[in-house]
Amino acid sequence: MGFFEQIAVILQRYYPYFLDGVKNTLIIAAMSVVLGVVFGTLMAIMRMCRIKPLKWLAAAYIEFVRGTPLMVQLMFIFYGLPMVGIEFPDVSWIPNFSRFMAGIVAMSMNSCAYVAEVIRSGIQAVDEGQMEAARSIGFRYGESMRLVILPQAVKNILPALGNEFVTVIKESSIVSVIGISDLMYGTNGVIALTYRSLPCLAIAACIYFVLTFLSSRLIAYLEKRMKHGR
Amino acid sequence: MEDKSIIQVRGLCKSFGKLQVLNDISTDFQEKKVVSIIGPSGGGKSTFLRCLNLLEMPTSGSIVFDGVDLCSSDTDINAQRQKIGMVFQHFNLFSNMNVMRNLTIAPMRIRKKSQEEAEEMAMGFLRRMGLEDKADSYPSQLSGGQKQRIAIVRSLMMEPEVMLFDEPTSALDPEMIGEVLDVIKQLALEGMTMIIVTHEMRFAREVSDRILFLDGGRIDEDRGADEFFDDPHSPRLISFLKKVL
Ligand SMILES: Nc1ncnc2c1ncn2[C@@H]1O[C@H](COP(=O)(O)OP(=O)(O)OP(=O)(O)O)[C@@H](O)[C@H]1O
Ligand SMILES: [Mg+2]
Repeated sequence: MGFFEQIAVILQRYYPYFLDGVKNTLIIAAMSVVLGVVFGTLMAIMRMCRIKPLKWLAAAYIEFVRGTPLMVQLMFIFYGLPMVGIEFPDVSWIPNFSRFMAGIVAMSMNSCAYVAEVIRSGIQAVDEGQMEAARSIGFRYGESMRLVILPQAVKNILPALGNEFVTVIKESSIVSVIGISDLMYGTNGVIALTYRSLPCLAIAACIYFVLTFLSSRLIAYLEKRMKHGR
Repeated sequence: MEDKSIIQVRGLCKSFGKLQVLNDISTDFQEKKVVSIIGPSGGGKSTFLRCLNLLEMPTSGSIVFDGVDLCSSDTDINAQRQKIGMVFQHFNLFSNMNVMRNLTIAPMRIRKKSQEEAEEMAMGFLRRMGLEDKADSYPSQLSGGQKQRIAIVRSLMMEPEVMLFDEPTSALDPEMIGEVLDVIKQLALEGMTMIIVTHEMRFAREVSDRILFLDGGRIDEDRGADEFFDDPHSPRLISFLKKVL
C-alpha cells in the first residue's frame, strides 16, 4: 500500500480523532490568545507605567517567560500548582476540564508576555513627534494617548497579534504532553492504533498548516480592510 | 513706548545627564515682537525652545509666561501650553486624522468649541491659504509645504499668545520654503508674538525685531535684526556669519 493510500485509509477510519483534536487545538489557541491579550494589555500598561515596582515586576515577568521554554512553564503549572494547593476543579460535563485549564493557563501566561511586548513596541513605534505635538497643543498625557497615540499603535499591534495567534496554534501542540486531547494528542492516539507514524504525522502537519495558513490569510485580509478604512 | 514683556527667562540651565546644553540663559520676549534664534548645530536652540513650553524640563532657573512661573509645581502646565503654539521641523500632524480633524480636535476638546464653530474657523484659515480642498485629506497625502502650513494653522486654531517655531522649513524641499515663510511673515504683520529658530538668514533679517545667537548653550549676541548682521560683536558670531552667508 502506497503512502497516499495509507493516508486515505487512516483518514477514512480515524478522522474523528483528528477532528476532535482540531476542535480542542482551536479552543485552546483561541482562549489562550484572548486571555493573553487581556492580561498582556494589563502587563504592557504595568511595564510602561511610572510606578517603579510595578514596572520592574512586569519587566521581570516578561523577561522570565520569554526566556524559559513553554514546556517547562506548562509542567510547572500542571504539576506545580496542585502542590501549592491550587487545583482546577473537575467539571462533569467537560471531560478533562482540570487538564484543559492547566493548559490554557500556561499557554495564556506565556502568550501574555509576548503580547505585552507586541503592545509596547507597537506604541513605541509611533513617532515621538506625535506625542510632543499633542502635549504642546495642550492635551493631557491620557488624552494624547487615547486620541493620537493608541489609534496609530493599534495598526502596528493588530497584525502582530494575528501572528501571535498563528504561533499559539503551533505551540499549543505541546499541551498534548499533559494529556490534553488536542490535535497532536489525537495524532499520537492514531499512531498507537495503526503503527503508521509517518502518514499520521503527515496528516497532522497538513492540518496544522491549513489552520495557520487560513488564519494568516484571514489576518492579512482584515489588515487590508483596516488600511482602506484608515 | 515701553514694550510689554510676555516671557521672562532667568538663569535657565538644562543638562542631559552630564552634558550641559543650556548655560544660564536670561532674556525677555516682548509682546507682538518677532525674535529669531540662530546658531550652530548642537548649540541648544531646539532645547531652549522646548524648555519654553516645558517639552523639556529645565534643570534650574525660571521661565515666567504671562506672569505664571511655568516651572512651579502648582502651575497647570497643560493650561499654559494651550496658549503657546509650537510648530515642529517635521510637522507632526496627527497622522490618524484628516486635516479638518487635525485642526478642530483641540479647539473642540479643550476650548469646548462646537463642531460647527471649529470647522468654520478652520475653513476660514484653509481658504486663506488656498488649502480648502485639502480638508478631507490625510497628512500622508500632502506635500511638505502643505503639511507645515496646516501645522501652523493647527496651532493658530488655539488662538495662542505666542508661537514657537523650530526650524519650520528645514525639512522642506527648496521650492516649498517660500510658501511657509510667507505664512510666518503674514503672522508677523498681524502682530503675532513669535520665537523662531531658523537657518534662513535672509528671512530672519526680514521678519525679526531681534535676533539671538545661541552657541554653546549661551546667548552670545542679542541685537536688532540689522545690527546683528551688519555690526556683529561676538567673534563666534562673526565667524559663524562668514560661514553661512
Ligand atoms: N533628549 C536629549 N537627550 C540627550 N541629549 C540631548 C537631547 N536633546 C538634545 N540633546 C543634546 O543637546 C545638544 C543641543 O541640542 P539641540 O537640539 O538643542 O541643538 P540645536 O541647536 O537645536 O541643533 P540643530 O541646529 O542641529 O537643531 C546636542 O548636543 C544634543 O545632542
Ligand atoms: Mg534643533
